[in-house]
Amino acid sequence: MTVLASVSLATFLVTAAAATQFRSQPLPPSNRLARDEALRQSVNQLEDQNRVLKARVQGLQAQVKAGEDQSANRSSAVQLVKAQLDDQRVIAGLTPLHGPGLTILLHDGADPNDPSDRSLGWTVHYQDLQDIVNVLWAAGAEAVTVNGQRVVPTTAFHYAGVNILVNNASRLTAPYTVTALGNPSSLAGGLGDPDQLAELKSRNRIYGLGFSWLRSTRLSLPAYDATFLVKYAQPIS
Amino acid sequence: MPSRSAERTARAQRLIIISLIALALGFLLVVQLRSQAAVARTLAAQDDTSVALLINDLNRANNQLIQQGVALAQQEAQLRQALAAGGTDAQSIQKELTALREINGDVPVHGPGLQIQIQGTVLDFELQDALNSLRNAGAEAMALNGYRIISSTPVQSRGNTLLIDGHAVSAPLSLLVVGDPEQLGPAADLSASSLQTRVQVDIQRQTDIAITEVVTSRPLIYAQLGK
Repeated sequence: MTVLASVSLATFLVTAAAATQFRSQPLPPSNRLARDEALRQSVNQLEDQNRVLKARVQGLQAQVKAGEDQSANRSSAVQLVKAQLDDQRVIAGLTPLHGPGLTILLHDGADPNDPSDRSLGWTVHYQDLQDIVNVLWAAGAEAVTVNGQRVVPTTAFHYAGVNILVNNASRLTAPYTVTALGNPSSLAGGLGDPDQLAELKSRNRIYGLGFSWLRSTRLSLPAYDATFLVKYAQPIS
Repeated sequence: MPSRSAERTARAQRLIIISLIALALGFLLVVQLRSQAAVARTLAAQDDTSVALLINDLNRANNQLIQQGVALAQQEAQLRQALAAGGTDAQSIQKELTALREINGDVPVHGPGLQIQIQGTVLDFELQDALNSLRNAGAEAMALNGYRIISSTPVQSRGNTLLIDGHAVSAPLSLLVVGDPEQLGPAADLSASSLQTRVQVDIQRQTDIAITEVVTSRPLIYAQLGK
């Protein structure tokens, strides 16, 4: 039994060691590793801070709303303004909504590992999400989210290097899920229109991006997780 | 003798089986380590430039969230103060309503910004990219050839015709943007540089731009309030 145990242990160690060595070979020198690690730690810290700040903003929003409700109970004039404010909140995406709609799925495809193909067509780009959302609005969507982030009037999809960011630097990673409330048939019709998203559909066929959609009778969309600050625009009275 | 030989064969077999199991375990462990690395790829395998740009955007977003928190705390304090004094702060509620109406494109606005003239036809995705990039640079209100544009305004091409919320617009295009000109400028320059190979783009900073058009909000038919 001792022999058996020693042989097993030795085989295990040798295999693990060989595999570890295989993994370590391509790694860069240690100072570079430390620098990379520090950069990634900064991202983690900033993303933690981002979550804490959003939670604080949401908490304060709830307190403000409570104060406004109380004010509306005291004065009919305030009640009138408050009703308008609630309508504008719905339009701005500050209210959760539910209803029938469509769930659109998309993920990165397979890297063809083809030196002659440098198009990066196998990855999902921020423009793909932007285009899908645009088609959904055109097809009558009443509210849209991307990976749980509500698309609001200030929403902009953009790149920070290879990262797709939206709404206060929320990082979107594959798989991508776009959810839209509206008439499911109209929304599906918009996406299915051969004149729409032609480039994405062609890449979907070549690289397998899993671009598909499902109709639902009840979808739930969260509210925007922050608020808006207007600094430069003044109303013209 | 035969029994001893059989015993030796059996022992050898056991040894081989256990070695094989150990070998498989060693591989499994490493495979698992490697697949964990693949899952963490989203951040771990990024180039330093991407990570640095992400840090920059996170810093900017976090500063904005801090400012939002300060504004909300102030608003809450004002509301509470008025309530404690037995009244209401109608002004603070009216101010919030106005800000939301501006964001939603529901009221005419004016302010500093850019006037971007495009002397030619652009396609839907080119305009989308430009609007997206301006919005990312803090655009607070935009209008193109008499149509107010917010993020839910569909931009489409039908052949060479550009449609804004279903309305055809033709060259020359005049895009008005209200926001911080310091931030909007570089975003506009970047969009212009990709368009300028085909069409002439002229960007002017203005101290006061008026956007008088408003968005006609669509009523909710399918969506209902609440989760």
